[in-house]
Amino acid sequence: MSNPVLIIGAGVAGMTAAVELADSGIKTILVERQETVGGNALDLYKAFPTDDCFYCFEGNRWRPGIRKCFYRSALTDQPNISLRMNSEIGDISGAPDQFSVKLKVGPGYVNPKKCTMCGLCLEKSEAFRLLSPQCQPQAVVYDPTKADDGAKQAEEECPTKAINLGAQPTEETVQVSDIVIATGYHEMQPVNVDEYNYGKHPNIITQLELAKIIDPIGESGGVPVRPSDGKPAKRVMMVQCVGSRDENYYPYCSKICCIFALKHANILTQERDDVKVSVVYMDIRTYDRYERYYRESRNTGVEFVRGRVSLIEPRKDDTLDITVYDSLLDKYLKFSVDLFVLSSALEPSEGTDKLIETLGIKSTSGFVGMVDPASENEVVVGDHIYACGAALGPAEVPESVTQARAVVSKILQSRK
Amino acid sequence: MAETEESTGPPATLIDPIEMSKLDTKFREEIHSMPNGEELSACFACSTCTAACPIANIWKYKPHQLIRMILLGMRDEVLSSDEIWLCLTCFQCQERCPQKVRVTDIFFDCKNLAAEEGKVPPNIVGLGKELLEKGQLYTVTADWEREDMGLEPDVPGLSVDGLRNILKETRTSKLVDGDK
Repeated sequence: MSNPVLIIGAGVAGMTAAVELADSGIKTILVERQETVGGNALDLYKAFPTDDCFYCFEGNRWRPGIRKCFYRSALTDQPNISLRMNSEIGDISGAPDQFSVKLKVGPGYVNPKKCTMCGLCLEKSEAFRLLSPQCQPQAVVYDPTKADDGAKQAEEECPTKAINLGAQPTEETVQVSDIVIATGYHEMQPVNVDEYNYGKHPNIITQLELAKIIDPIGESGGVPVRPSDGKPAKRVMMVQCVGSRDENYYPYCSKICCIFALKHANILTQERDDVKVSVVYMDIRTYDRYERYYRESRNTGVEFVRGRVSLIEPRKDDTLDITVYDSLLDKYLKFSVDLFVLSSALEPSEGTDKLIETLGIKSTSGFVGMVDPASENEVVVGDHIYACGAALGPAEVPESVTQARAVVSKILQSRK
Repeated sequence: MAETEESTGPPATLIDPIEMSKLDTKFREEIHSMPNGEELSACFACSTCTAACPIANIWKYKPHQLIRMILLGMRDEVLSSDEIWLCLTCFQCQERCPQKVRVTDIFFDCKNLAAEEGKVPPNIVGLGKELLEKGQLYTVTADWEREDMGLEPDVPGLSVDGLRNILKETRTSKLVDGDK
């Protein structure tokens, strides 16, 4: 019996790899740092290229290629998958094919196998939260920093006895044959890009923050609102290439920000009431079939301004006056907007550098680099070490899934 | 800047920007709804039209800028620009446009809108006057070329009266009379 496969990160790529390996009869250990699986994709309400809702299974049932909801429910029910939430990777030692990996497993306050999400604890204490109705594992989460008497009461009264407030973090060492890095990306917080005033005004946000605001299950029910006062935003301006293609930050093109900016623009103009969207850009890079997002947004009246932002002046009513240099007209234009959205660079997620160092693998602009750049095996990053999804660089969902399946294929081939 | 009192941001600079709120946002729809405007919004400002234009080099606003100005709502600037009248109507821009924007035809639409508002350059009005009076822009004269070719001095069977009568009843006459 071979050792199990360790998969780091339960986002789109990691979940796909875990479920497909498990379905092929291979034991996997899926480690996730956060309290729910899904990664960045969880915050998106629609995903390109199909514009499918990220929550419901119903809409996708007839389409066998898209099984994301199935993946999530498989995570707790597939016996070959051992899911470790709240957990991080410690030291890695040993030779390829027999790695010895230390796991720092976070305290399991709520047992997901027992929790029925009845909501009793949510009423008792604010320390308990339901991250999303579709969260996986299907359980509430507990924040120990908000511990109160209500939490203790909830522990006692929980009908299924799923809560254990005394849970402690544990450490364990696992023996694994292969390591799959699926650590994904992180959206840069552009606090250092002075010209955009990010972090200095509540109505200056990033694209992922906008995604949360316009998410129908979010606080505003999907209405685009200004974070400053919760009033509906009628005029939205987006600016592309914030920190991407910038030698001061990240020299590479983050590849998917144009598409998700246009996706958001289309949602705002087509599905929300009376919102005017302007996009300030250097180049719109909607590669491959995504050109349709660009054409669609132009048709629906999204205003495109080729140029850069020269000045942001906040007003007392929380609107922003934004002066943009239009390089096509060679003129300066002054807009008044409610929301200013930065398409910020996608950077390697936190800890990627350490992981690269520990495993002694290559790095490409901070992301995991493939062993042989000339080879077609972009998922092979070391001996018995693989990577998939945005751990290799900014990637869209279908690409992450394809890479995850490539990893599965490689591992199966190595074991035949 | 009148609003400086309100501003809590950095100080104003020497930039004197175009106030977007003062532009005519309906202009885009106005052109879009005209017979040639259907693909107007498809423009992605690649400047192919300007590259194709044989005379845009001497224009203040290049063809792609005029389209941009229409999209932004700079109605007055577009309709009172010389460029829409200087267009040779060679249709090169329209032929080459990768997004099927009918650039030349849109300039015709702009000319029609400008004419309705009486914004026609004097030299164009002059041409209209010529047409009204003579029924043709270039009068054929008995010159040495016709003589060399053995042609009679007047073009046989040329009658401009009908055309002149038609023009009198159409917008051409209104344009010319309106100028007086």
